[in-house]
Amino acid sequence: MTSGYNCLVIGLARCRLGLSSNKYQLSNVFLRTYSQYPPHFVKPVYQPAQLDDILESGESKNLEFTPVRAAYVNHTSSIFHDKIVMKFTNHVMKTGRKSLARELVEKTFQEIKRIQLQKWNEAKTAEEKANTECNPLTIFHQAVENCRPVLQLIPIKRGGIRYQVPIPITDKRSYFISMRWFVHAGREKERKIHFPERLARELIAASNNEGRVVKQKQDLHRQCEANRAYAHYRWG
Amino acid sequence: MASVCIGNLVRNSAKVFRNSYITQVRTPYGLQIRCWNSTTPEPSSKPLTSVPASDTIKHEGSGNQLIKVSKAMKAYQEKAQALDALMFEKTTEYEIGRRHLANMMGEDPETFTDEDIDTAIEYLFPSGLFEPRARPLMKHPTEVFARKKVAEFDETGRPFHVLFYTGLPNYYQVLHDLSEKVRELDSFSDRMMQYNIHKDPERTLNVGGTEWVKKEQLEDILLEKLKDKQYEFFVRSMNRLLDHPFSYRVEEFIMKFRKHVQISVIHKEIPKLMFTAEGTPYMAAVGRRKTSTASVTVYGRGSGKISINGEDLLYFKYIQDREQVLFPLQFSGLLGKVDVVADVDGGGFSGQSGAIRYAISMAVRSFVDEQMMEKMRLAGLLTRDPRRHERKKPGWKGARAKYTWKKR
Repeated sequence: MTSGYNCLVIGLARCRLGLSSNKYQLSNVFLRTYSQYPPHFVKPVYQPAQLDDILESGESKNLEFTPVRAAYVNHTSSIFHDKIVMKFTNHVMKTGRKSLARELVEKTFQEIKRIQLQKWNEAKTAEEKANTECNPLTIFHQAVENCRPVLQLIPIKRGGIRYQVPIPITDKRSYFISMRWFVHAGREKERKIHFPERLARELIAASNNEGRVVKQKQDLHRQCEANRAYAHYRWG
Repeated sequence: MASVCIGNLVRNSAKVFRNSYITQVRTPYGLQIRCWNSTTPEPSSKPLTSVPASDTIKHEGSGNQLIKVSKAMKAYQEKAQALDALMFEKTTEYEIGRRHLANMMGEDPETFTDEDIDTAIEYLFPSGLFEPRARPLMKHPTEVFARKKVAEFDETGRPFHVLFYTGLPNYYQVLHDLSEKVRELDSFSDRMMQYNIHKDPERTLNVGGTEWVKKEQLEDILLEKLKDKQYEFFVRSMNRLLDHPFSYRVEEFIMKFRKHVQISVIHKEIPKLMFTAEGTPYMAAVGRRKTSTASVTVYGRGSGKISINGEDLLYFKYIQDREQVLFPLQFSGLLGKVDVVADVDGGGFSGQSGAIRYAISMAVRSFVDEQMMEKMRLAGLLTRDPRRHERKKPGWKGARAKYTWKKR
């Protein structure tokens, strides 16, 4: 049954790409793909700083004749654009309501700014004031960085028993897990405080290596440490 | 003993056929077969008439001894003869036609070139047909008729090429050469490592602006019909050779299978700025995305005013869409320096903002220098977003989503 479906999908993909093949002079070799773009299209470099890097290193010479994909709708050269925040917004999003997700993230940043400014105003000494970080973006980055795990547990079945085996994780996944923990921390069961407020407090706490999310990371590390005897189940 | 023989055979034939993917036909006993191929184009040669179309031919060297000719060879000879005759006839016709044309155009027939023929045809037989291939033309027969392979075996039926029985001798010869080159480069890099000589970063093979030949072109080069998988394998293997740090040493081999990519028309022709009656420079462009269409006029020497369907930027409810409209202006540094008037129709918010973004980018090209334009291209502003709504599939919940399915 499923193979029939797959065939259908492939057939449809073929139809679609077959229509556009004249436009891109697509060879029939690469038809088995869902992408609207032929495989030789490269991803756009839309951030000015990165673009300057490419131009300086001379890498752009190689791209001179390479077609580039169109920038996505959430890509912009604005200085307020941040890749990790963009990713985080997508994790906050539910059922495709990106505008709401973006609003929530922006409100969170507002809240962080408000809390930190209050702290700054209440600070007595100049040293205290200097130590109060008022940039929400810096706090967010610091918090995400502080909560990235280095190990994770995966269940592996050996002799009918499931062992929780610690394995190292990739950078990308560690960022994902860290951000997922924050989103879950914001969505508490008892909703007495709104998502942005709760998230803001959690982010500020995590940027100081405190709070529940940091604890969650440490718990995971502790459990990995406890299960180190199973580590060899990763192989064989 | 047998293995030695085969070894010799392989080595000898490798020597003979290296770097020539089209086998030459030289049958022994003075019997020569002429055919159309890239290496021996002899358009004005006479048709071959000396090949007897019988089962036996005379052996010149040893008296009246009769030699059996295989059926395949015989069939081939007949085919080759027919083709030669045809080509001779067509070439003669072509020559006559060329001279006639030259006379008609009042020029010297001796110096009448192919370009002259094209212009003469265009002048004498004007055609309103849209499809260029449907218009009248006069080309040399070698260009009109498909090239054919020359004979691959002698009159006893023994093939010349060692890879004949693969069915695709030329294709596998290329792969054979390719693997040899990879091995050569590997041993070279080993030697370099031995002497502790590092690769000169300056010496790299620059293949910018070229791409691998398409499947059809490769088939033309090799004179063999390839399957998709075979072409894919060829590209993969060639990429492996190209990725080798010392690939510049086999540049000639690599470049044989690369061709220049054409720069798209969009980047070649940029319309010149236009001026209003008051002398304000402006440029208009149309942009599309999903089902939206936007026609935009960008006025120079402005103050950053933006009007979308008569409203300002607040026409868009979401910040993301507003950002999209401003993206090309901010990117090119023209934000606050130009005025934008946009008319947008169809689709939703993101489609409309995307259409305006593309239209503004296209119009802004006339305002900025080439370097900025290249930057905009790399940022993905000058590409029309071809993605569109994917249709729902029958029996499925959506484009990709399926209904939950239980066995019972």
